[in-house]
Amino acid sequence: MKGDIVIIGGGITGIALAHELARRGEDVVVLEKRFIGSGSTFRCGTGIRQQFNDEANVQVMKRSVELWKKYSEEYGFPFKQTGYLFLLYSEEEINQFKENISIQNRFGVPTRLITPEEAKEIVPLLDVSEVMAASWNPTDGKADPFHATTAFALHAQEMGAKIYEYTEVKDIIIEKGEIKGVKTNKGIIKTGIVINATNAWAKLINAMAKVPIRIPIEPYKHQAIITQPIKKNTINPMVISFRYKDSYLTQTDHGGIIGGVGYEVGPTYDLSPSYTFLREVTAYLSKIVPAIRELLILRTWAGYYAKTPDSNPAIGRINEIDEYYIAAGFSGHGFMMAPAVAEMLSDLITKGKTSLPIEWYDPYRFERGELRQKALQMG
Amino acid sequence: MRPLDLYEKDASKKVTIYFEGKALEAYEGEKLPVALLANGIYWITTSLQGRKRGAFTFGPLPVIVNGVKNINGRKTLVKDGMRIERQNYGEFQETVEIDESKGVLREVVDVAIIGGGIAGIGATLELQEYLTVALIEERGWLGGLMSLKSTQQEGFEEEPKKVIKELTSQFNDNVNVFKGTIALGVFDEGEYFLVPVVKKDQLIEIMAKRVVLATGAVENILLFENNEFPGVFRLDFALEVINKWGVAPGKRVAVVGRKPERITPELEKCNIEYIVVPNPKRVEGEEKVERLIDTNGNVYEVDAVIVSDYRLPDINPITQAGGKLKFKWGYYVPVLDEQNRIRDGIYVAGSANGIKPHYANYLEGKLVGAYILREFGYEATPAVYREKLEEYEPEPMPMQRIEFKDMNLEDVQICGCDVNLKKVDDVVKKGITDLQIVKRLTHLAMGFCQGRFCLFNGALLVSQRTGIDMAKIDLPVARPPLKNVRVKALAKGE
Repeated sequence: MKGDIVIIGGGITGIALAHELARRGEDVVVLEKRFIGSGSTFRCGTGIRQQFNDEANVQVMKRSVELWKKYSEEYGFPFKQTGYLFLLYSEEEINQFKENISIQNRFGVPTRLITPEEAKEIVPLLDVSEVMAASWNPTDGKADPFHATTAFALHAQEMGAKIYEYTEVKDIIIEKGEIKGVKTNKGIIKTGIVINATNAWAKLINAMAKVPIRIPIEPYKHQAIITQPIKKNTINPMVISFRYKDSYLTQTDHGGIIGGVGYEVGPTYDLSPSYTFLREVTAYLSKIVPAIRELLILRTWAGYYAKTPDSNPAIGRINEIDEYYIAAGFSGHGFMMAPAVAEMLSDLITKGKTSLPIEWYDPYRFERGELRQKALQMG
Repeated sequence: MRPLDLYEKDASKKVTIYFEGKALEAYEGEKLPVALLANGIYWITTSLQGRKRGAFTFGPLPVIVNGVKNINGRKTLVKDGMRIERQNYGEFQETVEIDESKGVLREVVDVAIIGGGIAGIGATLELQEYLTVALIEERGWLGGLMSLKSTQQEGFEEEPKKVIKELTSQFNDNVNVFKGTIALGVFDEGEYFLVPVVKKDQLIEIMAKRVVLATGAVENILLFENNEFPGVFRLDFALEVINKWGVAPGKRVAVVGRKPERITPELEKCNIEYIVVPNPKRVEGEEKVERLIDTNGNVYEVDAVIVSDYRLPDINPITQAGGKLKFKWGYYVPVLDEQNRIRDGIYVAGSANGIKPHYANYLEGKLVGAYILREFGYEATPAVYREKLEEYEPEPMPMQRIEFKDMNLEDVQICGCDVNLKKVDDVVKKGITDLQIVKRLTHLAMGFCQGRFCLFNGALLVSQRTGIDMAKIDLPVARPPLKNVRVKALAKGE
């Protein structure tokens, strides 16, 4: 077996990247130790937002939403622009969001500050008694992560990408600083280019490649809850409340209310849902939407946030190993970024440069002690 | 007497309730769906996709009670003047009253036993002399499936109700019984196991040094067209309406499934006319079952269908608590060590381990009780129970074939949440055999029962379509809460 480019990891990032490279005519192979979309993508909370607090992330997400729109229409998977609504409870929060909004507006993201009454018009079940304002961008949205990944995979394969499931990478073969191949549980694949798109497992792959720089990505357990399905379009946007422990909630296509809070455990690879989370998530979500109190909880589950110290991913080329790239450490917002990350990294691999601000995600920044402003993280 | 009453009820408890505006006779303390059944009303709620549903097989039962939507009909007891209306699954109560009055209660015990069936009772009796016990039972009474039977059971000298009464009357002060209480799961807190439970929206945190899962078995769901239509009874529900409430499932019923003998003596005892139909294809009717059609095209005019098949261990509490499964005797059972543990500190007893007579489950309850006593340094003789228990080999369930031919698969419900057999079959036919993916693509096992009644059939379908051995199919594990609980029960402050 051989492939010019081998992507390790068949989650949304690896698959979207394979799709983009295949579209450009590259010979690409994806290696996934379970099935495509089986890791954090499988457990992810659906949200896609452009409301970040720095120029790079706003630009990248602006592009990502364009791509979400394009591909969801072309491939027929659901992506709905139902908006993101950040509830604000103090002057301090409002001022901070005014700054964020001005950055977003500068790059063409049409976020605006709205009144509690307007917020209630968007989600009539909201309790806005303590809300002072809200940050609202109607072009943010949500998509089903598993369906999206499946759709990208199908089209990547149609364009020639090879996706090997249940194929686990055991080692990376490097001779004199050059990649020669990847060793898997099913044999060796010859290649000259490897991309580490394993997010929560990124450090394991980096260790196989003997990456000489420190790229701190650690798996943290984050959890989510789903309620019984209720009538459609009850809660359309993603509703966020930093006041109530970074909670988020929205309604899935199927009708259930899905949500989480910023209750983090780790670093750990354990994924068992906890009782503490159940108590916290029910308390906070029902403060935002009191009607949730009367709904039945069907299930809770957990997934990884692959976290870096500044909550921004590491995306780029590792110069000491020819040619090794990384796109990992998405810190809870990797699903939404995937289409733009795929474009950015494909540009870098095929053209050596990109118009998107990839340097913000420079894998060397940790080594250099140049942490970025912390990216807005939910849940 | 109401049309389906098996005997005269206590006239002093007579009340009037209103269903869809119509006045009906009911009796104080009666369960809502039973009161409606006695009056000949089977269709109580409507699924998201508009399918009519009753109370006596899988799927939830949301109803409007006195104007409040999304009330669980199965847990509602009738009261004089109560007004009940049908609703669709998606309807919910938009305005809620916030009642912050109930705080969390805590209870510290040596052993938490989940499940008040005969195994749980056996374990309690063994433990109570030296250790404190919390016995948690979802139903409003103890004795599990055995208490729903009217005939004497092997190994016991009296009829089931008397046996249960006699055994539970021996409970001493070390035993705290929680009836009508659901356990949300077992959480390992290091020093102890936390078993949060909810009783009427009251959250109670039970802290225990050891846990016994005496969580029992569930009825196998048979796959035929309209198998969740109002008037189809799961066997445990049929036994309950007959023996607990004195109401017949219908005037004339059909018994389907591979174990008709589990219900026919009860029907004979109550003079309920029945016919055994081994090969059901479809049930039909306007608002309830009116006829059953078999695979040979024979039509039977009946007003209820009782599914009397095999039982399967409920694997959800096992996997949530961290247990592994194996395929044995035709179904999935927990992997146990030599002391009936799925892991340190968590024991399993009763039909959760395999289907066997009630007496064997009782012995197994005593057995794990004895193991725990010994762990705590008390004298106990598990070997005696172990030896007796070995006389009972669990009952094997023969592998069933799903008859795809000639069946309209869209009408066959594999899961209570509008997941039909066609939807699942289409995915499997595309070559997807991992139940995790099947689950995600079809919503199988993602609804109210968490796969309790549909995962087995999902595995069976994959096995049948692909030839993969049932033993090699990986079942998704259950996540908390083990049973549906209202957000408000957990959302309260300290």
